[in-house]
Amino acid sequence: MNTVVAKPWAAVKRTVAYKEVIKALWKANPISKQILGICSALAVTVQMQTAVAMGLALTTVVAFSSLIVSLLRASIPRNIRIIVQVAVIATLVIIADELLKAFLYDVSKQLSVFVGLIVTNCIVLGRTEAYAMNNPPGRAFLDGLANGLGYTSVLVGVAFLRELFGSGRVLGYPVIPEAFYQAGYVNNGLLVLAPGAFIMIGLFVWLEHTLLERK
Amino acid sequence: MSGNFKSLLFALILCIVCSLLLTGASSGLRPWQERNALTDRHRNVLRAAGLLEEGRSYSAAEVERLYRERIRELQVDPAGRILERTDSPKDAAGLPIYLSVEGEEIIGYIVPIDSRGLWGPIQGYLALDRDGATVKGFAVYQHAETPGLGGEIEKRWFRDNWVGKKIVTREGRFVSVGIAKGRAEETVPKEKQLNYVDGISGATLTGKYLAAGIKDTLSRYEPVSVKFRKNLLTELGLPSPAASN
Repeated sequence: MNTVVAKPWAAVKRTVAYKEVIKALWKANPISKQILGICSALAVTVQMQTAVAMGLALTTVVAFSSLIVSLLRASIPRNIRIIVQVAVIATLVIIADELLKAFLYDVSKQLSVFVGLIVTNCIVLGRTEAYAMNNPPGRAFLDGLANGLGYTSVLVGVAFLRELFGSGRVLGYPVIPEAFYQAGYVNNGLLVLAPGAFIMIGLFVWLEHTLLERK
Repeated sequence: MSGNFKSLLFALILCIVCSLLLTGASSGLRPWQERNALTDRHRNVLRAAGLLEEGRSYSAAEVERLYRERIRELQVDPAGRILERTDSPKDAAGLPIYLSVEGEEIIGYIVPIDSRGLWGPIQGYLALDRDGATVKGFAVYQHAETPGLGGEIEKRWFRDNWVGKKIVTREGRFVSVGIAKGRAEETVPKEKQLNYVDGISGATLTGKYLAAGIKDTLSRYEPVSVKFRKNLLTELGLPSPAASN
């Protein structure tokens, strides 16, 4: 039984695409390993809901900008490539924002300025410049997707802990029983503020480095 | 030279394509966006007036139907007199005001709040009872405050916080409603607690600006509120509510 399952899995494991995805998700996670995209990770991780929405918006933008840049990579002149990449990313971000405003108005209101700030997120430009410029469209798209999800996973992890210990909620629902508060438990106000996010992200970075070293 | 020319040509084509896409997205989606924004404002007028059930989601059509049934839009001049319906709703002299009605009876009024916030304007509505003194509800439809901190102004606990507060002191002097630093019970003297709502920890400045914005708005609408307080609705040119108190 096990061998039947293991064989196609082992074949998948040998592909370049698989290695790239694992690298983006774990070994070179944009936030906890490469320390990229910290600014938005600090800003939107007070609550899980905004963290999830932001992660999905960023994932979409990285995946599609990687795809477009990869498709254009043969014709982009080397000397203006960064400008071209930024133009592509900015266009996608604005279109995504307009689409959210037209069809998912409530979500767009929650994310407010942060969708626009995806343009300045180093992960997006980092992936287009380092990967999409040198790889075929399919792999570039996958790489963008994996990096976006790597970013999202850390964001959601940080947001979960900040929301749980900072305001006693998970996804907006109170989870800490009233009896705890009566017994003297207090929400940690520091976690709601930016320094709390710094400490949390620092702990995630520590965790990832320790686990990677142990292997 | 030819390399530079190619770069310029590429940049030019890219710019044209991008601007076409952006123009297309912006103008093509505008009707939907404007309808969403209008429905959202109507939704928040209703929410401030306490006409929406909490925890239930209302479709755009339901919001519009409820809005037509329960809300009347009016313009008043700074002295609190009703202005003739003008063609342009943005008449410089007129202050917009919304009446919440139950059948033919006026049960309260709603004023639009346009306040400064920490990161950008805060826009919302404050609903008052027909006694001209008691807050019936508060709702925000546009702000740029930090989610989880100042952004809590749009959350239910903060909105519920306003219900039943008074914009006047016990003696009847207008003071507006302030936002306390932390819990009003702990930080505000007992006799003033009716004029303060609980603040948001970590968002003192948002509270400060919003309280100032609300005070400013309410003082502009004070002539209207006075008429409600004196039960002079007939002077407003509207049917007086059936025997109050």
